[in-house]
Amino acid sequence: MKNSKARDFIHKFSIYIILVAMFIICAIVNDNFLSARNLINVARQLSVGTILAYGEMLLVIAGLIDLSVGSVLALAGVLSIAAYQSTGSLLVGFLVAIAVGVACNFINAILVTHFDVPAFIATLAMQMSARGAALRFTNGQNLLQLKDYTVFGQGNLGPIPMPVVFMIIITIITWYIMTHTRFGRSLYAIGGNEGAAIASGINVKRNKYIIYIINGIFAGIAGVLFMSRVNAGLPNGAVGYEMEGLTATIVGGTSFSGGVGTTMGTLAGGFIIGFLNNIMNLMGVDSYVQQIVKGIIIALAVVADIRSKNKKTQKVILAADDNDDKKEKAAAK
Amino acid sequence: MKKKVISAILCAAMVSTMAVGCSSSDSKKDSKSDKKDGYKVAYIARAQEDSFAAWLADEMRAAFKKTGDMSLEVFDGEANDEKENSIIENCIANGYDGIIVQANNGEAQLPYIQQIVEADIPCITTNPRVECEGTGSVDADPYEQAKVNCELALKKIPKNAKVVVLQGPAGNFHSTKRREAWKKEFFDKRSDVKILAEDIANWNKDEAMQLMEDWVQAYGKIDAVISMNDNMAAGAIEAVKDNAKYKNMQAYGVDGTAEACLLIKEGKMTSTGLQSAIDLAKMNTEAMHDVLTGKKKVTDINDNVPAPLITSDNVDEYIQMYKDNGQIKE
Repeated sequence: MKNSKARDFIHKFSIYIILVAMFIICAIVNDNFLSARNLINVARQLSVGTILAYGEMLLVIAGLIDLSVGSVLALAGVLSIAAYQSTGSLLVGFLVAIAVGVACNFINAILVTHFDVPAFIATLAMQMSARGAALRFTNGQNLLQLKDYTVFGQGNLGPIPMPVVFMIIITIITWYIMTHTRFGRSLYAIGGNEGAAIASGINVKRNKYIIYIINGIFAGIAGVLFMSRVNAGLPNGAVGYEMEGLTATIVGGTSFSGGVGTTMGTLAGGFIIGFLNNIMNLMGVDSYVQQIVKGIIIALAVVADIRSKNKKTQKVILAADDNDDKKEKAAAK
Repeated sequence: MKKKVISAILCAAMVSTMAVGCSSSDSKKDSKSDKKDGYKVAYIARAQEDSFAAWLADEMRAAFKKTGDMSLEVFDGEANDEKENSIIENCIANGYDGIIVQANNGEAQLPYIQQIVEADIPCITTNPRVECEGTGSVDADPYEQAKVNCELALKKIPKNAKVVVLQGPAGNFHSTKRREAWKKEFFDKRSDVKILAEDIANWNKDEAMQLMEDWVQAYGKIDAVISMNDNMAAGAIEAVKDNAKYKNMQAYGVDGTAEACLLIKEGKMTSTGLQSAIDLAKMNTEAMHDVLTGKKKVTDINDNVPAPLITSDNVDEYIQMYKDNGQIKE
């Protein structure tokens, strides 16, 4: 009994146990890891990826995906900078980024819900179009002289870097949505079994629109933070960032087959990837090896996901068998 | 029913696109027939998403426009060998008078460049040069671009300095050659200089910035950043720009981008070797014109653009160049 409780505890909190273990190992193997400056660095570096991961998490839980987020981030970022440069208003720049993110994702949602295009294909198409639009708009050149726009990515609120502030706010919002709203709970139902969700009265189409729009808002904010952090409008920046977001999501325990995932798990996944990148750079591990290690981590996370699902299925089957036995015995009596 | 409507709409869209395409090509034919002795040249750019390649394509268009007797069609290889090879095949089939190829990967494009030669179409390879019999080439010499930086670095980098090195994509010809120049022209001559860390940042500012942020934590003090392009040097500088300890850090790059010029002007970057898209475009245009008008054989074309070093002494003239083409606003 005790053993099974311990197993359940480990199973439930495995991602946090891995995170803590990793933190301890990093601190032991490198003296610089624990310095306040380095930890702030890591938090700043992982902010954009984690914000994108929340969008991906909402989508993946509901059985969807977004492959366009890196390109949408770039388009939102460069248009936002252009808006700021022509109006001089940071607010206008910020709102333009969000509007672009929402517009692109609204199109994704139309394709997915009204035309039944698989999310993979719809967002792949958006990935190409949004990147092309960013390159066309800037003529392939970086936008320079950002001036005050850098406050979003390089400024601080007290001792906390602005990207981290944004990440904390978005974490709280996402956590609230997922745990305290009907909409949040409905995502698990949609991803778990869409047919059953429709039958139980959930407005699946409307909810898919909402998920993509939230994802668009996050992509827009990430675009502002990314461009302002690097102090340039990079139309070819953030290539492959959809994978950064998805990696944190999957490592954080979100099931690729939908219906499973938590905000805190995704945050932990973001930190695990952030710590991993940081410690490998601190120790001078070359980028080829870094890619191998990241690949192995993703594979392990998915294997763990499949194994835990198989165990759950076995438990359900065993419990069902047990119930049947009891019923049969009761009937025999 | 729904599916039928959608397929009807798609068919209509395809037909109208083809109609628009045909009408635009007709108008091109008309405009070309107006010109006497108009030569049709194709330029196959490596990837329009690469900021330097995009700049070069723009300058090519501008330079060809000035000639009056040559017209240029630009195609985008999208950093994809297969795509670029298909475009080369299409250009041969379309009977262009001359073809300029900016290879994505010289080895992969070589057989297709040979097809251009076999079709008797004059072919110039540019940025990078592809060694192929029967073609001409105009390029910037990546070794030279780094070497001019090395000559300055030999004098400026202090004794026993600790440096970090940023490389372009693995196997990239220009990155490899620039790194080779740094080895032969600097590191072999300055055994006192220690390389603390070296890694690939894929020409990207954001990747270089993240690497530098971590290296600063790992090594504490870095005297100089040796970067194979300006984008990565700018990323490394961005990572330490508010850190007083790094106020005197030196940074070397290649390309002479607008951003690098601004950083040199601000005193944050030491130098960069210019790879001028304007010069490359001008020399390609002149070379193709000479070949098509019979002044030169294509095989006589084997030119390199100069690689002047940009430092705080001469940066103003390059900033003016970027102001003129709109890349620097004020």
